[in-house]
Amino acid sequence: MPSAKKGGLGEEDDLSESKSAVQHGFFETGFGKSIARNWALCFLILMTMVFSLTSRGFFDIVNFQNILHLSTGSFLLAVAETLVVITGGIDLSIGYVYGLASVLGAKVMQVLSVAGLPTVSVVLLGCCAAVVASLLPGFVNGIVITRFKVPSFIATMGMWGICNGVTLFLSDGFMPVMGAPEIINKIGNGFVFYIDPGKSVSFFQKPSYIADTNIRQLIRLFPNSLFLTLVVLLVVSFVMRRTAFGRHTYAIGGSMDAAVRSGINVNRHLVVIYTISSFLAGIAGLFNLFQTGIGNYTPSGANYELMAVAAVVIGGASLTGGKGRILGTAVGVLVLAVLENGLQIMGVSAFYRYIGVGILLVIAVVIDRAFPDLF
Amino acid sequence: MKKRYAIVIAVLLAALTVMPAVAQKQQLTFLFMPGVQDPFYTTMEKGIRAKCKELGINLIVAEYPKAWGPEYQVPILQAAVQRGGFQGLLIAPTSVDALKAPLKAVYDKGIEIITVDTFLGDGDYSKPNTDYNFPLSYIGSDNELGGKQVAEHLAKLVGEKGKVYCQATNPDASSVAARVAGFKKGIAQFPNMKLVGVEWCLDVQQKAQEQTLAALQKDKDIVGIFGVNVFSAQGANQAVVNAGLVGAVKIASWDATVSNIDNLRKGVVDLVLAQKPAEMGSLAVEWMYKYLTQKVQVPKKVIPGFEFFTKDNVNDPAMAQYIYQ
Repeated sequence: MPSAKKGGLGEEDDLSESKSAVQHGFFETGFGKSIARNWALCFLILMTMVFSLTSRGFFDIVNFQNILHLSTGSFLLAVAETLVVITGGIDLSIGYVYGLASVLGAKVMQVLSVAGLPTVSVVLLGCCAAVVASLLPGFVNGIVITRFKVPSFIATMGMWGICNGVTLFLSDGFMPVMGAPEIINKIGNGFVFYIDPGKSVSFFQKPSYIADTNIRQLIRLFPNSLFLTLVVLLVVSFVMRRTAFGRHTYAIGGSMDAAVRSGINVNRHLVVIYTISSFLAGIAGLFNLFQTGIGNYTPSGANYELMAVAAVVIGGASLTGGKGRILGTAVGVLVLAVLENGLQIMGVSAFYRYIGVGILLVIAVVIDRAFPDLF
Repeated sequence: MKKRYAIVIAVLLAALTVMPAVAQKQQLTFLFMPGVQDPFYTTMEKGIRAKCKELGINLIVAEYPKAWGPEYQVPILQAAVQRGGFQGLLIAPTSVDALKAPLKAVYDKGIEIITVDTFLGDGDYSKPNTDYNFPLSYIGSDNELGGKQVAEHLAKLVGEKGKVYCQATNPDASSVAARVAGFKKGIAQFPNMKLVGVEWCLDVQQKAQEQTLAALQKDKDIVGIFGVNVFSAQGANQAVVNAGLVGAVKIASWDATVSNIDNLRKGVVDLVLAQKPAEMGSLAVEWMYKYLTQKVQVPKKVIPGFEFFTKDNVNDPAMAQYIYQ
């Protein structure tokens, strides 16, 4: 068992300092420990090097920005899942809260646009509706799990169905909800810097003299979406590493009984954790609306929540709770995204890529089980 | 003479009493069971309604399932069958396998069945000794032919040369797989064209965007993309916009939904294949009626064909009938 479970702390620094007496040879050395602790990061670097050498078009700033931009939803969902996994639970509803927020936001914007409200009001009210609605599923999950002692797997699966049903109702079956202002699509896919080499630099929008068909002559840097990702990653990471709230979260996942005995209001804390998880999923869904310009319901084949769990596990968290790092999860998301992107650019068929992702996930869990004390 | 008149009058009287009974016997009722709540099936319902009105048939429309799948469709079907009162069933089965048993049970009650848009088994009801040869006919699109025709139209748009890419949705959906297979065959007809990849976005538009961007990164000179439904076409378009390739890459899409037609008008897509759901529905009513009233032999497969929308004909009033409303 990781020390966090016994001590009820759980910050990675504490974890690394209190290794058990289990001997792992190479992994007992400083370098070995570092490799083991950061195997996903090492794998990511290695994979990036291999793809850069073997896949024409992979090593390109445009491609790296595409990977980051298109992983925004995955980053947010995985951060949401990490919080819950650290407490020893699981949240299966985030994928459908994601779809609910996307569709509800689009629906509100569609209705208000038709009513003739100014674009700014349409966008703001649509965003507010999506964000506020996304708090509710998590709050209910937390109440059901803590007050009625329903396992998180079951409670969140119930919410999975409820959110799916509401989303399908709002989207009239499985049609995308259209009619949101076009500006959201430009914001969602925009960049901070647009550089016309030797001529101009503009911020947040391309120079007016450049047509859409000539946008390739610009150097576009730092997608807007990266702001959102960095803010969420840094804020949640800070909270988990540096605040009492973070320490309590690890303590609950490490040992629920110890957390109760130490005076933590576990029930209230878990309700907050599930609400935050749902909130982050809602933000991710709202971003999906900005990125695609339409409200997308969550198809059953999307498996957003399971891919989030995969990223969390690859990032070093334990499904039994008490262990996990936000930045590790971010690496987990990137490992999956780079693997997909690199293999596709290499020309590997989609079906083989599914196998690749599956193998990687199994390897992650094997490492977690074989060397639990090294993290 | 009087005797003759008496016989004629008796025959006329007998005819007058029997005629209404015959007419009553001909008063048919059909049940329409759609696959899911979407514009394709509401358009099909309009075609069915119009033909039923023309032929004097009562129509019952079952509740539209809110999502695709036998788990949604079968309970609605069974409730409608329980209520009864119809002689013909026009249904879009949502599974090639899972609907076999429920529909066989309906058939065993003496109700004739025509499947529209989708089918049971492999859709060939002429095969003997199968567990799915009981429907009278399958009336729907030939997806493979449609995919091939999309390839041919797309080839014209790009000057019959260059690389093309296919953004598909679900590899386990037979209709989608057939569209992709047809597209491959269609492109293979053009020696100066090459299909550089097929990706599956599982109906997730963001995934389609991600996969198309990677495809454009791998082959920067792609000139055409076939998005096999609205999600894949829109995701592909967003990728093309992000890559700054608007105008340089032509996008073809499947199904003349209002959203796809709007996208064509806005320049998001360049070509839209329209199936003919209203015609499918109308033909299904007609063949069911002919079978039940005249016992004519119904063809086991009826394929209504396609129409293609481009920027040039999208505002043509004659094409408006093919938009799914």
